[in-house]
Amino acid sequence: MTLTSLVFALFCVIALIIYFIVPKKFQWIVLLISSLIFLFYGNFHISTIIQALVVLLPTYFLGKEIEKIFNTKKSRNLLIIGIAIILAQLIYLKYINLFVATANHICNLFKIQYQFEFIYRNSLIGISYYSLIMISYLVDIYRGTCKSEKNIFKFALFMSYFPILTSGPFVRYGNIKEDLYGEHKLNYKNLCYGLVRVFWGLFKILVISQRIGMFVDTIYGDLNTYTFIFIIMAVLLFPLQLYTNFSGSIDVIIGISEIIGIKLPENFTLPFFSRTLTEFWRNWHITLGAWLRDYIFYPLLKSNAMQKLNKKSKEIFGKKIGKKIPLYLSMLVMWTLIGIWHGGAYTYIIGSGLLQFVIMFFEDILGPISKKINNKLGIDTEVFSYKLYQVIRTYLLFAFTMIFFRATSVSNAIDIIKHLFTNIQSLFNLNLMFNLINNIGLDIFDAGMLIISLLVLFIVQLLQRKGNIRDKLFKQNIVFRWGVIYTLIFAVIIFGCYGVGYDPAAFIYRQF
Amino acid sequence: MKKKIIKVIIFLLIFGILLHYVMKILWYPPTAVSYFYKEPKNSLDVVYIGSSNAFIHFNSVLAYNLYGYTTGFLSADTQPISLAKNLIKESEKYQNPSVYIIDLATSTEDLKLDIDNGIRKTVDSMKFSKNRIEAINESLKYIKDIDKKDYIGYYFSFLMYHNRWRHISPLNFTGNTSLYKGYQFAESTTKVVPQNPFNWLDEKSELPQENTQVLKELIDYIKANNLNVIFVVPIRYFEPEYNRKLNKVIEIIQKNNINVLNFNTLEDFNEIDFSKDYYNSAHLNVYGATKYTLYLSRYIKEHYDIINHKEDENYKSWNSEYERFKAKYKEITKQDFNEFLMSLKNRY
Repeated sequence: MTLTSLVFALFCVIALIIYFIVPKKFQWIVLLISSLIFLFYGNFHISTIIQALVVLLPTYFLGKEIEKIFNTKKSRNLLIIGIAIILAQLIYLKYINLFVATANHICNLFKIQYQFEFIYRNSLIGISYYSLIMISYLVDIYRGTCKSEKNIFKFALFMSYFPILTSGPFVRYGNIKEDLYGEHKLNYKNLCYGLVRVFWGLFKILVISQRIGMFVDTIYGDLNTYTFIFIIMAVLLFPLQLYTNFSGSIDVIIGISEIIGIKLPENFTLPFFSRTLTEFWRNWHITLGAWLRDYIFYPLLKSNAMQKLNKKSKEIFGKKIGKKIPLYLSMLVMWTLIGIWHGGAYTYIIGSGLLQFVIMFFEDILGPISKKINNKLGIDTEVFSYKLYQVIRTYLLFAFTMIFFRATSVSNAIDIIKHLFTNIQSLFNLNLMFNLINNIGLDIFDAGMLIISLLVLFIVQLLQRKGNIRDKLFKQNIVFRWGVIYTLIFAVIIFGCYGVGYDPAAFIYRQF
Repeated sequence: MKKKIIKVIIFLLIFGILLHYVMKILWYPPTAVSYFYKEPKNSLDVVYIGSSNAFIHFNSVLAYNLYGYTTGFLSADTQPISLAKNLIKESEKYQNPSVYIIDLATSTEDLKLDIDNGIRKTVDSMKFSKNRIEAINESLKYIKDIDKKDYIGYYFSFLMYHNRWRHISPLNFTGNTSLYKGYQFAESTTKVVPQNPFNWLDEKSELPQENTQVLKELIDYIKANNLNVIFVVPIRYFEPEYNRKLNKVIEIIQKNNINVLNFNTLEDFNEIDFSKDYYNSAHLNVYGATKYTLYLSRYIKEHYDIINHKEDENYKSWNSEYERFKAKYKEITKQDFNEFLMSLKNRY
């Protein structure tokens, strides 16, 4: 059941109707039943039930136990057991093939004639999301920042709340429990705001992302035919495809929750206006970044081992450089984990992990130097042109890292990079150019529609920088307001890439 | 709260109206089936069901001009026989025809395949109703090779057609001017090979189990509802295997005392000129269609009790459509249609 499917739309409508019809004290039960239907839709099998229970039961009981023996050594041990169980299942179901691929590489390296077979397991939707959410639940109880849930069914709802199973965002138990189990009545404002957000998300996914995908897939699928300018365009467009797909999904998820009355955290705040990659990642997949910061980065930085390293490195390299070493090491661990989380393949580890770390590392090192140079040369860094340069530079760097993210393998990524600047002379072969343009997966109408929709996205984002665009819209008079909403809905219905002839929207992030 | 509920209702109402018109514009230009729905309730005397042979071979405005009865089409390209029963049901909802004509050209086709999207081409033109869903279910139950994700597109046709915004033509706004009350004017000529005669074989071969089942259900429905039905086999070349199976179909129908006209074997229908009367190998052009219509329309008049509406003011649109057809004929052939008609009428 994908977010853009008619089945999902019907499912949500029915679930919402029942939710608001039943007595308020039963509303959370409706959400639980809906979430279980969604979780097991087309995947109801003894193995998937076991998968769910393997995480649900230990987390639930250990959470209660950790709370009972709060602040003891035993509670720490229980926490480690809980995390180990969750991670063991996650690694077994999602990342086992990373180990298989590594083992095979090692065998090849040492010319050992043995290849391990890849293991494919049927895993539940959203396993990468609910696993981390469950870990944060245990850690929060251990730290005493939230209380455990006593009702196992309510806890099951927290684990399986259906909208976030598809693409996040990561939620914390302490922040969501009031909304999740609370009583809600259908609120006109929530309904209007939620629906607009849902359709804006669908616009991003179906009108923009899917259309860019048709182009990018064609180019990436045939590197020998398409060279130079086409590959550069595909590389430059892919971040937009990824962004509109992922942030569009989040819009749909937050919109649905808004109708119910559940406030979810934002996951994107205009990342493409960022001036550095560090700033970019503060605006991109915000809840994942926050999760890793709170549960990996800071605990690691504050760990005994890192404190010792801090002391040692200060002794060797001096205070200024020495204090940075544990920081960079913690960052390296965190970004490697971000890469792994995105998928059990080296392309993800390099693309969304290590390369991000390397660029941020240099940003941190070169930042002060660049500042000094700018000061010496009298370059104003707060003028529009300089900001634009920084924004473009950040986009280009991110687009480059995403070559690995999009590639099918590391060697494929290297191949793409090689092709970026080869066959430049093809640009002057007009016949070849026309032939290629005719086969790029988009016709003139699609290309036109893509340009218009990107322009709309850009204008909306500019407006969003100045405040909540929905607040502004709902202050307008009814003719304008409804006109905008009808235009949005019909843009999705008419210009969306869905239905027969299109692949159902393949969510780039859904595999996680 | 009351005010807000009213607002929501008005919003949804406007949305529904807009959606209806947007989808109407985005859909293919009107088909023969669209014209069926345009006719006033209980105004059609004959309803023709089946593949494109129906609305390309039978000139309904000519039949009206000759005998004053009206014919509507619930026909579409490569329409499978599995839809016929539900199309009769659809017809009964809006009309009370004296006779049904059912084209058998596709009755032997493999029901496990939706050949050339014949199911879609028919059901997409049908109005949304329980019967439409039933028609889709009835025909899809035999289909084996459609991707499951495409099934939903049969029920909600906008999933298919929303993407036609790039192909919108003036026809989407003005209607299909090459249709005359559903009859499709086929103007060009193809020499048909093999030449006359088509050497109709007399042997029979067994039908696939699904086709036999569908035919049985159709016959049972016709008999249970006491309907007047003429099954027709169009005059065209059929592969020997199809020919043999068609003989089996004819045998089954005749055993049930239902009328079958096989135009390939009718002794008194021998005027088709195989070098001039075909639009392509499977369809007659306007000349062939005129000859076919003259024969079949007279047959209907002679064998069924049908009212002549020619003097009825309510039916004057049929006269104007006939005039439009004649004008088109003259524009294409540079000849007067009446002259062509007179040259044939003596023979029929």
